[in-house]
Order: sequence, then structure tokens, then C-alpha cells
Amino acid sequence: MSDETQDATAQGAAPSEGVAEKEGFAGYELDTAREPVVVGATALFVLVFPYVFARMPVVSGILQGYQGLATLMLIWGIFALGFDLLLGYTGLLSFGHAAFWGGSAYAAGVFSQFAAESLGFEAGPVIIVVVGTLFAVLLAWGLGFLSLRRGGIYFSILTLAFAQMMFYLSSAPLSGITGGENGFTAVTVGHLFGVFELESELPSVLGTLMGTWLYAFVGLMTVVSVAVAYRILNSPYGMVFRAIRENEQRTEFVGLNVWRYKLMSFVISGAFAGVAGSLFTIHGNYVPLQSLYWTESGEIVIMAVLGGAGSLFGPMLGAGIYLYFENIVSGVRDLTVPFTDIVLLQGFGEYWHLLLGVLFVLVVWFFPRGIWGLFQDLRNRVTGGDSAAETGGER
Amino acid sequence: MALLETDGLVKEFGGLVATDDVNLTVNEDERVSIIGPNGAGKSTLINLITRRLDPTEGDIRFKGESIVKMEPHEVVQRGVSKSFQTASIFPDLTVRENAEIAALAAERGSFGFDFLTHRRKLHGVHEVAADTLDAVGLLDRAETPAEDLPYGDKRRLEIGIALASEPDLLLMDEPTAGMSPEETRSTVDLIEEVKERMGLTFVLVEHDMEIVFSISDRIVVLNRGRVIAEGTPDEIRGDEQVQEAYLGGVEL
Repeated sequence: MSDETQDATAQGAAPSEGVAEKEGFAGYELDTAREPVVVGATALFVLVFPYVFARMPVVSGILQGYQGLATLMLIWGIFALGFDLLLGYTGLLSFGHAAFWGGSAYAAGVFSQFAAESLGFEAGPVIIVVVGTLFAVLLAWGLGFLSLRRGGIYFSILTLAFAQMMFYLSSAPLSGITGGENGFTAVTVGHLFGVFELESELPSVLGTLMGTWLYAFVGLMTVVSVAVAYRILNSPYGMVFRAIRENEQRTEFVGLNVWRYKLMSFVISGAFAGVAGSLFTIHGNYVPLQSLYWTESGEIVIMAVLGGAGSLFGPMLGAGIYLYFENIVSGVRDLTVPFTDIVLLQGFGEYWHLLLGVLFVLVVWFFPRGIWGLFQDLRNRVTGGDSAAETGGER
Repeated sequence: MALLETDGLVKEFGGLVATDDVNLTVNEDERVSIIGPNGAGKSTLINLITRRLDPTEGDIRFKGESIVKMEPHEVVQRGVSKSFQTASIFPDLTVRENAEIAALAAERGSFGFDFLTHRRKLHGVHEVAADTLDAVGLLDRAETPAEDLPYGDKRRLEIGIALASEPDLLLMDEPTAGMSPEETRSTVDLIEEVKERMGLTFVLVEHDMEIVFSISDRIVVLNRGRVIAEGTPDEIRGDEQVQEAYLGGVEL
């Protein structure tokens, strides 16, 4: 592997970076070239996904997808992406990320109401996302500070406890603000950049591909999130996070402040959850009380592990699969033999939880690196196994 | 000049006194070995100095500054580095990344907000890591995942990680434990080489007497937590108390 990368340097190296890489460290030039590829591929996917999923002849008929679900998949994808920085890379299992998802959703909603009723303007989606994310960051700082006092299972339990406190706070004591069990209904979202109505169709071919302005905005946030996450993974933080996951004690004993890096990992993942939670409010024009419930924390863990914790795109894929089961498979009335009317199983969709559970167990048993890891293995087998350059940066 | 001093250092575990009033001085550019039978308190002493354990009593000063109130990473940042008894490495990371983690801490401090800085820009870190890997003879395996190295090379990498944090004082806890004779020899060569090349001050805890007598300037003998003898290898060789307590009266 190292021979190949060194050859690559010798043949096609850009001399500008040559000084630092002089002694066999060829990997960085490949990293440099990969960043635009990763971001570009994400942008391309975001561009065509709703069309393929919801409108493309034949394919969308098989998939049964629809526009709103495509948007929701990206939103949960952002949430899963940030969650994986904590779980997959730093090795910390938070069981309370509903606090940041639901917390920022409420913050976004309450802010939009406050802007409309007291400040006299309709807050646009950008500022709503900024406010929601800021709230999540501050909350993550506080809860992280308290929860990271303990390691392992105690950390997980503490995060769960704090998130449940948030749930009960918003269900009763703060119901005057949050709407209690009815959820928060007074969301008022203005136009994007003050001009574009979110639910209106995009012009010409963009409308065919992506549908609405809302999707375009969520898609843009997705691309930005992937770019930021990928940069973080290739920054000193990416290395330190993985070092903490691998050997926390050694990381401390090379002179790194493990506690502060863990807190940053928690806060960064909280920030991604904040972006996603705010978008969720904008998308649904409503914040259900459910968004703070512990089952949301559980779902994000399942998504990340199903798709492949410790990879950039795995958890996003996991989010998509989960939502597909929850929204599409659950609606399938009878399982038939394809292209016939022979019914194999009646009421098939009701079993979606069971199906997902079986899939989850199979993945954890046979592909511990998740479905994305399975894809990578298959690709490596097809391309002859060399993947140093392909997986090195984000492994 | 005294680089490291311990002053009346005591560590008790419940009723057991693991370290008993130890006054140790390590001067700059000195190679000190700590020997003693199992349970003599060697590892406890090292763990006290690296701040893995809190002393019951006494003070530890590094470069004249007390370090007993500091966090382990702060002690490392001041220049005390430790190589572990087992190969304490980052198995999933590449050899290069293993060295870079330590170099990162040395070059950029214990913490920073540089999460949007691409690591290809960390030129100082790359250089230190490359130099260190060169010194421990692992540069040609830089892109190998650390877990794929043979055991001897993992231990070399472990020493490399300790060196990459650019210490003034290196504490080595049994660097040849579990090694084959060949690996032991090459590790001793490595230590000798590092000693020459980097002019490092180090404290070595070791069982293998051959190694201890060949590479130390001074030897400190511990027994039941106490220092029972201290001196040059020749003095220790001739010390009756040491032979009695530790070597069981066997002639060396």
C-alpha cells in the first residue's frame, strides 16, 4: 500500500506541498484532492435524490417515495452525521441526543413565534437555523460538562437522564411556552432570503430534480454539514477523536487534554443535532413533544449503527433506511409476489418494526461496520482490494 | 542541575505502604535505572511521577516546579513523557498517525480550537512524526495500521510515541517486557541510539540486569517501597545490602 502511494508522489506530485511530505508521508496530497470529490458527490446526490425517489418513472414507482420524505431523510441524515462524530469517532455513546434535536426544534419554533408576535417580522429559515443551533450548542456545553464527568455506561445514563428531564420540563412545567402534550403549533417561518416561499416550486429543471425551495435549503445545509464534518475528520480533531476512542489513557499521556476534546466532540455533535432539529421545525411547521422523548435518542443510535458508525456516510444511509421502513414499508398492505396478485402475507406493513429489528440484528452480527462498511468491502473486492487512499481519511 | 526531585514521597494503598519516604533526584542528561524485586514499588513510583496516582504525602518537583497538583497531560506538556509497560498504542490508526498524535500535543499544546484546520497544514507535526519514526526505524511502515505490526515493532512504536512528545525526561516502564531476545537486543540498541542522538534524560524501570548495568549512569534500588541503595553500576554490584535484599546473595 505504502509503495503505491509513494509511487504516486514520485510521478504526479505537486511540488508546492513537497516540503512537509518529503519523508514518505504521501497521504496528504490524496486528502487534498478528496475533499472536493466528497463534497461534490454529496451535492450531486442531493440534486437528483428527490427526482429519483419521488418522480422518476418506474424507479419511483418501485420505491414509492415522496418529496416530503426525501427532505426528512436529509434532516435526519444531518443529525446522524453529527451523532456519529461522537459515537463512531470519539467512542462516546450518548443516549440523550433527543435533548439537542428536540431542544433546538423547540428553540427554533419558539423563536419564530417570538419574532412574529413581538418583533413584528417573519423569521427566515436561515436565522431560525442559527438560533436553534446556538441553543443546541449552549445546551450541549452544559449537559456535556455534567455528563462527561463519568465514563462508559454512566455517561450514557446521565445523558439519558438529562434528556428525559427536558422532556418532562416541556411536557408540563413549561407547557405555557411549549404547548405541552399538544406540541408547539405556533411556528411561523418566513421566506428564504426574504424572497422565496419554501413550499413553492423551484424554477425549471431544478424544480423537476429537487422540487421545492424547502428541499433546496435542506439540501444545501446537508452539503455544508458533510463538508464541515469531513473537514473536522481531517483536522487535528479527527485524529484526536479516534485516538480517544482507541486508547483514552494513552491520549492523556501524550499530553492532550482528553476532557476538553471530549467536551468539544459532544458540543460539535450537539451543533449538528441543532441544525437538524431546527430544519425539522421548518420542515414540519410543528414541534411534537415526542421530539424530546428518549425513543428519538434510541432511533439515532440505531440509525448510526445500522448504516455504519465510524464512517462519514454510513449513518446518513442508516437514517434513510430507518425512515424508509418507518414511512414506506409500514404502509405496504400486503406482501405479494412481484408483478402478480398472489398475496404472501397480509398486513405486511404492520411488521415494519420487526423487519427493521431483524435487519439490525443481521447487520450487527455479520457486518459490524454497518451497511456502509459492507458496501466498502464489496467495492474493495471488485476493485482489487486497494483502499488505502479511499478509506484513509475517514476511517 | 536537578531535573526531577521527589521529596519525602509516600503512597499508601489502604494499609499497604507502596512508596515509603522516597527522596529521588534525577539530574539533567542522567540515565537512572530503578530496580527492585516484584512489589518493590517501582511502577507505583513511576505512576506517581506521571500523575496517574495521587501521593499520600510529599512533593514532586520537575524543573523546580511542583507537579503534584497537575493533571497528567499538564505534566507531559512540561516535558515528562512515559512509555508504557505494554504496547499502549492506537491500534486502528496508522503508524504515522500514532506518531502524529504525540507530535500534535508537543507542537500545538494540550488543546486547541483548530477543528477546521486541515491536518495537511500541520507541517511541524509531520516533521516531528517523520523524524521520530525514522529514529525508531518504522518510517517505511508509516501507512500500516498499528495493529498489524509484530509485537516488537509495536513496542518500538510505543517508545516512538513517547519520544514524539519531545520530552525532557523519558520514563520507561520495562521497555523490554515480553520481548524475544532479538527484540530485546534491538530495543536496547534503540535506547542507546536515542540516548546518543537526543541527549535525553531518562528513568528506566527494568528487570533485565544486563540492560540495567549496561546503560545506566546511576542505579536506584527499591525494596518494599524504600530506597535501600543508590550509586553507579559498579557500586551497586558491590553493595552487600542489595545482594542480600534483592539479588538473594547471588554473586554478580
